Amino acid sequence: MTEPVLTVNKIGKSFKNKQIIKDISFEVNKGEIMAILGPNGAGKSTTIRNIMGILHPDEGTVKFHGRSAGTIPRHRIGYLPEERGLYKKVSIMDILLYFAELKDYPVKKAKERALTYLKKLGLEGKEKSSIEELSKGMGQKVQFIASIIHEPDLLILDEPFSGLDPVSQEVIKSEIKELADKGTAILLSAHQMNLVEELCDRLFMIHRGEKVISGTMDEVKAQYANYKCTVRGHNEKGILERLPQVQRVEQSGELATLYLEADIRPSVWLKQLPDNIHIQELSLSRISLHEIFIDIASDKKLWGEGEKHA
Amino acid sequence: MRNSMKVARWEFKKNMKNKSFIISLLVTPLLFIIFSSLPSLLDMFKSESDHVKVYVQDEMNIWGSVEKILLSQGIDWDVQEAIKDENEMKEIIKKTENTAYISFSEDFMEQGKLTVYTNEKIDKDFRGQMNVLVQPLRELQIENLHLSQQEKDIINQGINIDAVSLSNDVSEWKSDPLKRLVPGVFAGIILFSIVMTGMMIFQSASNEKKEKVAEIVLSSLDSSELMQGKIIGYFALGITQVLAWILIIVPFFIWKNDYPILEYLLVPETLLLVFIAVLGYLLFAAIFAGIGATFEDMDQTSNFQGIVFLLPWLPAALFSPVISDPEGMIAQAGSYFPLTSPAVLIMRLSVLESWPWIEISISIIILLISIWLFMKLAGKIFKIGILMYGKNATPKEILKWLKY
Repeated sequence: MTEPVLTVNKIGKSFKNKQIIKDISFEVNKGEIMAILGPNGAGKSTTIRNIMGILHPDEGTVKFHGRSAGTIPRHRIGYLPEERGLYKKVSIMDILLYFAELKDYPVKKAKERALTYLKKLGLEGKEKSSIEELSKGMGQKVQFIASIIHEPDLLILDEPFSGLDPVSQEVIKSEIKELADKGTAILLSAHQMNLVEELCDRLFMIHRGEKVISGTMDEVKAQYANYKCTVRGHNEKGILERLPQVQRVEQSGELATLYLEADIRPSVWLKQLPDNIHIQELSLSRISLHEIFIDIASDKKLWGEGEKHA
Repeated sequence: MRNSMKVARWEFKKNMKNKSFIISLLVTPLLFIIFSSLPSLLDMFKSESDHVKVYVQDEMNIWGSVEKILLSQGIDWDVQEAIKDENEMKEIIKKTENTAYISFSEDFMEQGKLTVYTNEKIDKDFRGQMNVLVQPLRELQIENLHLSQQEKDIINQGINIDAVSLSNDVSEWKSDPLKRLVPGVFAGIILFSIVMTGMMIFQSASNEKKEKVAEIVLSSLDSSELMQGKIIGYFALGITQVLAWILIIVPFFIWKNDYPILEYLLVPETLLLVFIAVLGYLLFAAIFAGIGATFEDMDQTSNFQGIVFLLPWLPAALFSPVISDPEGMIAQAGSYFPLTSPAVLIMRLSVLESWPWIEISISIIILLISIWLFMKLAGKIFKIGILMYGKNATPKEILKWLKY
């Protein structure tokens, strides 16, 4: 049973005469991780800032369920902005307690939580250090703790993985997962598609301020991610391009990637491959989220032809 | 307001935990004490080391009475009787540093001229000290004329010219200038101190941008609460600075001087003066907060933001014209111009015996309106500026934000 925490309904925002985002609608449900994706400048951060009330949408509404319209329950939201930092000369514990106080969270509980999370994220014993004494990655972890110190119902993370090494990315990823399992509704933007694929339940992709793809991870894959066939062998590009239901071929040395049409049936398509194709290795898989993302960013539009959202 | 208080507490605590702030809190008044007592300290060392050796030829037998007066003035020469004649004495003086030769001969009384021979290297205060001799010698001179007591008194009295300007006010001014001055100086110190810490709002807003914390903070409260919080927080820091001044300097002052400072200070007038100082703070705080939020890069040389630091010093330029003519044109204009009015009003009210209540009221009204306006404008600039990372805003951009 899905229980929406946040509903964004047809919001739009312009700066001067330039439309930054248009007609953006989605929901974030309790215990769910929702990804908002898109290339740089697509309007992700603008959307998030409109939700947070840092910007005000020109049109549309943002509704937090259980609250009267127009009010933002700031103390129930955790926010990690894209442009972020912390007071450099203040101890980490003081900063975390200040943020907890701003959210009306009891000091004693905040202190306990801060210590627990510092330990969890490998920062045990650092509570008295100041940010300038820590590495950038450690600083990022402290910022993450700052955003969840008050046990928010809704957590908004704008590129939480940027600047983190793979190990730290994994640590933050499992924390996010754990928070969602405990019922926190999470909206996150990220560029690491592999992490998004592993982590998120649903996604919403925007390009040039408008929605291009949305749905659960499986829906999106079924709907948008066509199959691709990777062949290793001595084959001329022309022959591969003439194969049925092939949209496009990318070849580099012996390795060729055949992007297939939307409605193929894998077993049928494989059976009708001609004998003269030289095959050392062959694999058939769906286009990854990463590739969909790149296609959108570079306007290639490889997914199903019927989709005309962009 | 509750959120503003949280920010205020944070700013206060953050600074009170900062070592350099604590040091400046205590060191500034201490430096003041050291520098104000430095001249007398130096004098103390000097008088101990530089005793001038004075040879006295006392034919008139008057040294005894002269010496008493010298000692009462704190002048402590090493006096020796001249045992040789004048020419030999001159030779000795010529050869020995820091020596002098005085001869009280019969001629000197008649001619009224006393020649003192000194070595070319002599304590630089010696000439001034010699002038102390004039009064007792003159008295002796009169004494020798064998006049009646009344005649002596008249001559001793000399002539004093006393200019008294007449007005309708009953003037107590001459009797006690401190009555106005002490509360005025007190309010002046408060204004100075809170405006100085107010400058830290600029730093704080600018740092919030530089350290990119603003957006995180603004996810918990709105920009006006953040700005208000900073203004209240730094006001508290300024008052803490004033308390440090009071606790360190007032006891020192009372110990050094015999004035009943507290009696002068605890009057209703002080309240008005302090109120004016607080208004001054609010005005500058708004300017510092607004402009600070547009400013990120301290190293950038071509910035107009630096000019705001000069604004609080504007009244310093008016100090001497206002003090010399506290009812003049400059003083009046200065009290109506919001950027100078707090300081100019305090200066004027420190020296004026009868306060121009109508002018004071108009100034305060102008000041209140300006504060309201500046706070509103600063709020607009703050709201946009604090989230604009990466560069300093240009005046053109700031003007544009004001139109939103």
